[in-house]
Amino acid sequence: MKFSINEAQNYSNVPVVTQDIDALVQKIGAQLGAVETVENWGHKYDGVIVAKVVSCDKHPNADKLNICWVDDAGVAQDVERNEAGHVQVVCGAPNVRAGLTVAWLPPGSTVPTTVGTEEPFVLGARELRGVVSNGMLASAQELGISDDHTGILEIEEPDIQVGSPFKQLYGLDDTIIEIENKMFTHRPDCFGVLGVAREVAGIQDQAFSSPEWYSVRPQFDEAHDLEIEVDNQISELVPRFMAVAMKNVAIKPSPVWLQALLNRVGIKPINNVVDVTNYLAYVTAQPLHAYDYDKVKALSHHKAKLVVRKPHKDEQIALLNGKTITPRTEAIMIATDKEVVGIGGVMGGSTTEVDQNTQNIIIEVATFDMYSIRRTSMTHGLFTDAVTRNNKGQSPLQNDRVIAKAISLMNELAHAEQASNVIDTLNSQQSDSLSEPITITPDFINVRLGTGLSKEKIISLLANVEIKTNENDAGELVITAPFWRTDLAIREDIVEEVGRLYGFDKLALEMPPRPTNPTKVEPMLAFKHQLRTALASFGASEVLTYSFVHGNLLQKAGQDPSVAFKLTNALSPELQYFRINLLPSILSNVHSNIKAGHTQLALFEIGKGHINFHKDDDNGVPKELEMVSLVVANKSKKGAAFYEARAYLNDLGQKLGIKFGYLPIKDPLDFPIMQQYDQARTALVVIEGTDTILGAVGEFTASVRKGLKLPEYCAGFELSLGDLLAAIPTGSSYAPLSRYPSISQDICLEVSENTIYETVATLLDDSLQVDADLDQTIAWHPVDIYQSEEIAGKKRFTFRVTLTSYQQTMTENVLSNILQAVTNEAENRLGAIRI
Amino acid sequence: MIDESLAHALRLRAKEGDQTVLRSPELKSLYDQLRTMPAEQRGSFGKEINDLRQELQQILASKHEAAEALPSIDVTAPWDVNTSPADRPKSGLAVNGSLHPLTQEIARIVDIFARMGFTALESRQIDDDYHMFESLNFPEGHPARDDYDTFMTEEGLIAPAHTSTMQNRIISDNKHLLEQGEPIAYVIPGRVFRNEDLDATHEHTFHQLEGIYVGKNIHAGMLVATLKTYLNEYFGEELDVKLQPFYFPFTEPSFELAVERPTILRKDDSEEQKWLELLGCGMINPNVLRMAGVDPEVYTGFAWGQGIERMVMMKNEIEDIRHFNSAKLDFLRQF
Repeated sequence: MKFSINEAQNYSNVPVVTQDIDALVQKIGAQLGAVETVENWGHKYDGVIVAKVVSCDKHPNADKLNICWVDDAGVAQDVERNEAGHVQVVCGAPNVRAGLTVAWLPPGSTVPTTVGTEEPFVLGARELRGVVSNGMLASAQELGISDDHTGILEIEEPDIQVGSPFKQLYGLDDTIIEIENKMFTHRPDCFGVLGVAREVAGIQDQAFSSPEWYSVRPQFDEAHDLEIEVDNQISELVPRFMAVAMKNVAIKPSPVWLQALLNRVGIKPINNVVDVTNYLAYVTAQPLHAYDYDKVKALSHHKAKLVVRKPHKDEQIALLNGKTITPRTEAIMIATDKEVVGIGGVMGGSTTEVDQNTQNIIIEVATFDMYSIRRTSMTHGLFTDAVTRNNKGQSPLQNDRVIAKAISLMNELAHAEQASNVIDTLNSQQSDSLSEPITITPDFINVRLGTGLSKEKIISLLANVEIKTNENDAGELVITAPFWRTDLAIREDIVEEVGRLYGFDKLALEMPPRPTNPTKVEPMLAFKHQLRTALASFGASEVLTYSFVHGNLLQKAGQDPSVAFKLTNALSPELQYFRINLLPSILSNVHSNIKAGHTQLALFEIGKGHINFHKDDDNGVPKELEMVSLVVANKSKKGAAFYEARAYLNDLGQKLGIKFGYLPIKDPLDFPIMQQYDQARTALVVIEGTDTILGAVGEFTASVRKGLKLPEYCAGFELSLGDLLAAIPTGSSYAPLSRYPSISQDICLEVSENTIYETVATLLDDSLQVDADLDQTIAWHPVDIYQSEEIAGKKRFTFRVTLTSYQQTMTENVLSNILQAVTNEAENRLGAIRI
Repeated sequence: MIDESLAHALRLRAKEGDQTVLRSPELKSLYDQLRTMPAEQRGSFGKEINDLRQELQQILASKHEAAEALPSIDVTAPWDVNTSPADRPKSGLAVNGSLHPLTQEIARIVDIFARMGFTALESRQIDDDYHMFESLNFPEGHPARDDYDTFMTEEGLIAPAHTSTMQNRIISDNKHLLEQGEPIAYVIPGRVFRNEDLDATHEHTFHQLEGIYVGKNIHAGMLVATLKTYLNEYFGEELDVKLQPFYFPFTEPSFELAVERPTILRKDDSEEQKWLELLGCGMINPNVLRMAGVDPEVYTGFAWGQGIERMVMMKNEIEDIRHFNSAKLDFLRQF
């Protein structure tokens, strides 16, 4: 919203600016809404002088040029003058003549439209065909007042002093404060300068009172010269529709002051009729529309008729912006009894547009359902000033004031005369407020603001912006929202209003009360922190990759996109699906890092995956699969990367106090999260000794490696965090230290090459028996796994077994006997030979 | 019908890995047959040929895959056979690991709030309209919804555009605390999504941290005091804050809070550089409390939300927001 201080002053009973502009801007920022820009408009006209053309003669050497002498009352400095004190200016405008009062840009001044641009045009004294011109006489376009460049601006204001600064005219010495629209989402009234002026008075603690034409309900004259009829068929979407016909309009450009104002606030002047509608919308926030009466009549069966309805099937409308659309079925259409002529509250149609030949008009002031306006605007991409105002939901209670003001301004500026009765679809006696009175106590307000405002102070703050307060018998405040306020419905609305007008910067700061019991910790977030710290301590780098992926990536990872949640409206084709798991995203970043010179890397991510068959699993919303994934890769290494990924997992387990087990995959698994693994080189990860599957660790299929340009040495794991967190043991696995030395011996078992490590390990666990009475413990770890041509078909596993006693120093033969028992068992069970 | 023996022969060749089978005269002869066939049979025969061709392609592809597959390994073993002790697998690289700058930042903020009595809970990444909008007092069709360019799924689910999507759940799940005379105090970090085009300063995926405090006699001055206390702790110095009125459907009154920019982060002495607009906040709208089953006559509260990326970018002078999700080690290892 571009707030013109000069225009606001026209409607304000108190000074709009009571302090310097910077202080006011600060105050608006603190109590009304963020200020986007502040434009000192008058600055554009520095040095521009009102002058009178005293003589005007043809230039001897140029047909179209005239030599003028102008009188500026001697104001301009450093300029050559004749003995009468006048200055010579060459002018090519067709309308230049002696006696005109004009805007003179003397040497040294800048063409107003170029002020503040990259190339300001500074005038000088220069020869035009042999005659010196001191500066120039300016057109309305050069002055930034309108698009009119057909001649120089003719100043017709009465009582204007020659030599006075030009910026005193037409309200040009203005400041435009642009306030962010977002702040006014719930304040439709602040899309009008009148509404903002009221607030600006309120935050400066001044009592605003609206002009009488706005505050008092108007009485309308009767007229019957032109017949019009309105048929509102959708009053649920159009609660109020007012219209009036006016005759004998004289279409012409608006007066300079109006064009200049519209220009300042970013509205393009068109002609006096259209400008009046735009101007009143700017003043009151209520959009208006003007139709050419005779065009409406020609499109009606008999008399001019406006029908408010939804579109018929396949009905099309040619809009003012030159486009023809088929409106959505629920759009609000304005039609005659034959055809549509506009989209209500959004944009008018071209068939009833006011043009140079228009003689009679219809003015429409209507209220439209904000939600319907918004949907129509979004559906068809129509974003107009009318939409900006109507989709905030304007109060229907101000329509009568606005149409009355429109009738009077059309009369004043276009000589139009009221030619019909004022039609109003809201027949019933209206209330002067949109909501029920709000009963509130000062205590309710003070508790929520932390203030100690007196009843009187509250009443006066509200009264400043014309919110009336009465007291009931119980001493409570009964507050009635003024007719233009749509946002005051509940008591908290009043709290906000009082706080804002009082000044939020004055609130007393106080910390909330806090119990001394310890802050509860949600385990998952804390666990994630523990995990990422652990993985980074092993040398891995944490990454974050997008939660959305392209379908190509899912396919490259061997996944079926149909199980992923699909986005329907993403701007970028990169974002088609919610990812199923994290591994593909990490894998897709391995190649680029290797190319960047990181030949050896470990990347991990902690995040969420989603699968659409878990759509309602979490209280009606999709289950979020929390997971941790890690990938190792090495461009220059050969061998099975699987074991390196497993090493990270083992280390992680150690930090968490979990011992992982690794199960080979016998039958291929087709879960979406298993698709990228080469399952012959992949293990399911379980808690050792249980069948609780936490995830998998493995290498990737040839097609994944190829599709994502992975090196051959590449593996990774992915675990479910929920299951992992649940598996963390609560107790301690600490073993006390013995005072006696331990003894160790190696045992090497040769088994058939098909025997897997796990089988031998289980045997070892089962058969390493100690005498419990002797308070001994026994432990083992692998030392070597060996295969060669010489022992074709066989494999040798070597283990180191360590025996500890808490009671005595051990002799070697105790351990030898134990290992003999193991050897016997290995022979029996596995046909193994001890080497 | 395709001659079964012909089809069988082609399949066998494909199974042997013969790539030329797709260009073989036998396969071509089927297409020749198609051309001379009565029109009404062409459709089904054409489909049969295509199916066969696809089947052959699949056989070849799986054959190819199998050829490139590595031999199976003993996944139960700690290392591969014949791995010398020096080459035994271990975690760890020649360089240190690293934590993502955004998770570090979130951890730091969560820690400050934990010390101030706030429990941290992560936000969801897929949610429904009720939690994202309706329970936050954005009725269907409300113009304030326009400010959130949300991603939608085919099911009508939403990728949340703000961490406020958790407010209703948290208030509702913890309302028993209020009855015990304790406040509800939570911070909610999480990923949020806006359907925007990417460039150096715009991301469709970023992080927010939401805060909620509900209790008895909680007022707007407490909101400001709490946030000021947090910011002072965060920046390690006493800084001024200021409020700008704002509009959010889920708070009333609503503000934007700006903090005095620490001198070290200022580029010059201008008024613009003086203030850092950091977070949106306000007193929780009574409708939001009511929808979560809390009586707004008895309890009041405040909420706020801040972006994470901006602070990290400003502190480190990071030139491109896209680095955060790029997984580039050159970037990540600097933190």
